[in-house]
Amino acid sequence: MRNNFDFSKRNGAGRGDIVLGVFALFLLYLLYSSGFFTAAAWQDFNRRFYQNFIKDRRYMMLVDGLKATLFMTSGATLIGLTVGLILSVIRVAYKGGAPIPVLNKLANTYITVLRGTPAMVQLLIWNFTIFASARNLNTQYIAILAFGLNSGAYVAEIFRGGIESIDPGQMEAARSLGLNYTDSMRFVILPQALKNVIPMLFNEFIAMLKETSVAGYIGIDDLTRAGQNIQALTLEHSQPLVMVAIIYLVIVLFLTHLVRKLEEWLSRGRR
Amino acid sequence: MKKFFAVLTLVFVVALCACAFADEPKLKTVDDLKNQKLAAQRGTVGQFIAEDLLGDNKSLLLTTYEKYVDAVASLRQGKIRAIIMDEMPARRFLNSVEGLAVMEEPLSEENYAIGFRKGNSELVEAVNKALAELKADGTLDKIFDKYYTTFLTGDSSSINPEDIDFNKGAKGGSLVVGTEAGFAPYELKVGSGFIGIDVEMCAAIAKKLDKELIIENMNFDALPMAVSTNKVDMICAGITVTDERKENMDFSENYVIGAKQVALVRADDYEK
Repeated sequence: MRNNFDFSKRNGAGRGDIVLGVFALFLLYLLYSSGFFTAAAWQDFNRRFYQNFIKDRRYMMLVDGLKATLFMTSGATLIGLTVGLILSVIRVAYKGGAPIPVLNKLANTYITVLRGTPAMVQLLIWNFTIFASARNLNTQYIAILAFGLNSGAYVAEIFRGGIESIDPGQMEAARSLGLNYTDSMRFVILPQALKNVIPMLFNEFIAMLKETSVAGYIGIDDLTRAGQNIQALTLEHSQPLVMVAIIYLVIVLFLTHLVRKLEEWLSRGRR
Repeated sequence: MKKFFAVLTLVFVVALCACAFADEPKLKTVDDLKNQKLAAQRGTVGQFIAEDLLGDNKSLLLTTYEKYVDAVASLRQGKIRAIIMDEMPARRFLNSVEGLAVMEEPLSEENYAIGFRKGNSELVEAVNKALAELKADGTLDKIFDKYYTTFLTGDSSSINPEDIDFNKGAKGGSLVVGTEAGFAPYELKVGSGFIGIDVEMCAAIAKKLDKELIIENMNFDALPMAVSTNKVDMICAGITVTDERKENMDFSENYVIGAKQVALVRADDYEK
């Protein structure tokens, strides 16, 4: 599984490292010349940090926002997986000769429409048009539905790719052993396909995590909006946003690490 | 490689030049704003006033923001020269952010009212009755006093969101109010709760109607849509009564009369 672009074994600094170094030095110089490293600036930074995050337990706003973000992401991913699996099976089964032209047409339309429009526009339509009169429904559930159905279209393509990557001989072998189409799909093809697409599904989860940052538009206090709420409270512009960015980055890095471990674990039998 | 560095240097130089402030004559009166870069919150009366000021140049010179904090940051960075906004929120920025000034001459005077879905006259009447009672017994004045004095001049932490009675578990159902909680002193999100003049007023109204108050926090330009699709019962966010808005929604009696629209500018850019 090793790819050709693995530079980790190379010795010495390459051209990219020099460019990065020069850029970092330039940034440091900018910070230095703007007086960032003086004691007064440091004190000011600390004072603002206290105001933004510590005072009146304001960090709890970020924690609550993070909870909402993770809740929406997990819910949306679950819906996305379910919808995606169903859609991909419909499309693959039709290709495999099942007499379901109407279902296939519907699945195709669904994927085209939901992949062809921005997730944010879909979210607004779900909230203000389709669920216009749903008043006592928690807005987060509407967001989960909107993001989940959107994700479903992408997941369907991921699954289809995974299923089609399995050698046709597997299906032929299963059928010749007497399994019917459904059983061969269920017990032979899908388990192998799933193993291939799990890393990509994780990536979809990571993308979803970042996508939910537009949920503030329908009034959900997710992580991004929590940062904006702190901004409105302290009238401080940069620190809350940078903090929100750092939190997103840490979560994404952690998840990426998980995906890498998972990939190693899944490919252990193939060496 | 040399070529790459040359291009990189060029990019930096251009970027630095773009950041530099041009030396322009200082702003003196409201008339000076007519051909300047202006900003306002999207969907507010400030935006309409700025559009009137700029005339045909509005697509070029007017920037609209979702949040006032973003507009103020742009103002301080010199990307725009003035923000057209309501006086009281401008005063709060004046008191807590350095280097700002409010132009003395107001641009207009507005009245605030609560907005309802067109034709929801039953609720409008009930709320008007509650408002009249609150005005008569001095509750409204007390709320205004509290925020105009202690809040604007001092610290926001003197007011605790948990002290506001949302009338939980009321028998008459719920009163869902849409607002944009970045508009202190009228509404502001603190922790997981809300404070502000509008919030306390709505809490008092909900109490009169024997309903539980539920606050829905959304973007300002989404509020008219939310109330007309019945997502919320009413919207209360320092909303100015205009003829255009009257065509699309009903309003209660005014609860703030003569709120000024002012221009928030940089102090070193303003000459009285």
